[in-house]
Amino acid sequence: MFDGTPDAINDLIEPGRVHRDVYTDPELFELEMERIFGRAWIFVGHDSQIPNPGDYITTEIGRQPVILIRHKDGSARVLLNRCSHRGAKVLNDASGNAKSLICLYHGWSFGTDGACLGVTMPEGCAADFNTKDFGLSTAARTGTYRGFIFASLSEKGPSFEEFLGPMTANIDDLVDRAPDGEILLDAGMHRYFFRGNWKLQVENVLDSYHVPFSHASTVNKKGEQFSRREGDKGGAQVVDEKKKKTSDAWKGRRSYVVEFGHGWTSNTELKDKERSSPAWNAYKDALAAKVGTERMEEILTPEFHNTLLYPNTSIMGLNIHVRVIKPIAVDLTEVNVYPIRLKGAPDEMNFGNIRLLNVTHSAASFVQTDDLEAFRRTQEGLRSTQSDWVDISRGMGEEQTDSHYNATSESAMHEMAIRAQYAAWLNYMTAGS
Amino acid sequence: MIFNTPATPSIGGVKGIDREPFELFLIHEARLLDMRQFWDWKDLFAEDGAYWVPATPDQTDPYKQASLFFDDAQLMTTRFERLEHPRIHVQSPPSRTVHMVSNVIVEDADEGAGEYLVSSTMSMTEYRQDMQRVFAGYQFHRLMKSGDSFKIRLKRVNLLNCDSAFEAMAVPI
Repeated sequence: MFDGTPDAINDLIEPGRVHRDVYTDPELFELEMERIFGRAWIFVGHDSQIPNPGDYITTEIGRQPVILIRHKDGSARVLLNRCSHRGAKVLNDASGNAKSLICLYHGWSFGTDGACLGVTMPEGCAADFNTKDFGLSTAARTGTYRGFIFASLSEKGPSFEEFLGPMTANIDDLVDRAPDGEILLDAGMHRYFFRGNWKLQVENVLDSYHVPFSHASTVNKKGEQFSRREGDKGGAQVVDEKKKKTSDAWKGRRSYVVEFGHGWTSNTELKDKERSSPAWNAYKDALAAKVGTERMEEILTPEFHNTLLYPNTSIMGLNIHVRVIKPIAVDLTEVNVYPIRLKGAPDEMNFGNIRLLNVTHSAASFVQTDDLEAFRRTQEGLRSTQSDWVDISRGMGEEQTDSHYNATSESAMHEMAIRAQYAAWLNYMTAGS
Repeated sequence: MIFNTPATPSIGGVKGIDREPFELFLIHEARLLDMRQFWDWKDLFAEDGAYWVPATPDQTDPYKQASLFFDDAQLMTTRFERLEHPRIHVQSPPSRTVHMVSNVIVEDADEGAGEYLVSSTMSMTEYRQDMQRVFAGYQFHRLMKSGDSFKIRLKRVNLLNCDSAFEAMAVPI
């Protein structure tokens, strides 16, 4: 029924709706691994995870196992975690330090740049065998911005700078909060999975419409969500206490999109003037000592809620973290959520960030768990073949040009951001074919 | 340091202390969870008590690394208010659980101060909507004598698979 040609793929996306196959067809999933995760710039890790030569983490680009390792020249290298001999994963641990990489199977060894250092029993090699031809494959391109390391498995396509484009502002918004101008992803991670398609989680990142309903259980009788930031006395007013309906403040949120499916939602309105705690106040002082009071105030004026770097990475500005969405199968997805430590901030402030992230984004959290339930039920609901289409039409035609951000903007209660994601999806899936 | 408990229990423990009061207390605690009497379970904790499920083996400090659960009294209140909310989708239908607690050992005791560190093995089988899963691990309770029973200053559960990916969890382990 589906042949992978541009025409067949184009037929899956119509104005304001997406064909259910996009979430359920295993062949289409294979094609996504090749054409999206095999082409796009994908976040692989952060400088702070591999500070010293030989430090590595193992992760995936799409489903392909990769190694992010610090070479002895100080550069970060992205190697395919597949022995050039018979294909075994060369590194097995989630993280560690290695001077050389030795395959368990037949003992071949590789440098931290992937070069083949030696083959055991070389006398058995074929006459024309040359170790130079047998290094570990490397990602075609890598790019780093303020510690965020991305890789593309394709030689072709937009440059890293083109890909990130104006989204550097969203990364700056996070990193500038650190008094020393650096963030650290060294406080572990939350890992969870759901029995649903990876795009369900991606779409959810910029979907503010679901919050009053999916997350009803996080809102108290006054219509307020629990506190999520160090120093806050309360959370967002999601529901109007008197009217018992979604509050005007929540409905007033905006979403923004730019090229490549990237986007963000506007700040969540909180009582910023009342925010106070010993940790928060000490942190403000530490930041002001580095950048001055005026700049400190500017940095700490919240601007973004959630940011999506399409296809699979989000940065949250509210209670800060980085989230990576890993497709495993058409109906199985793992999500990794990294707490962030702000370098130069008082320990108590970083403790607060780590502690509050447990509450919102651990596998046992108050927020993420209801999203996971929604994704699972969506995947099950989409088994129905009586209706082929998933509706994403809210707010169609109401998109506006935003001159401040040079972006396209709309109410965050609408589905513009999801439509932008599918425009990008279509580009990746049909480019060059 | 309240959070400083061993990653795995000792073999011998403290000699000469009757284990029965501790065993009965741990059984009672587990029953309350199985019966979903979460407010009564919360009342077992001291005012400054904490419930901690680390996300990595050998984790030494809940403030420095991500945890699956790290609830103080205030977070427990938020958690249990949410569990009572009619629209907590991830508990609709609710989980059914069976806890097993065994191999109880008093690891450390300060009889004068009435403070004890107790280790045990635990498993919780959870069933919800056609899916059953098992959590297993070692748990540590820092207890302090309170009348003829105890208050929990720390309950720490070291799950065998604490650093794996989990499907959503909603009830304490």
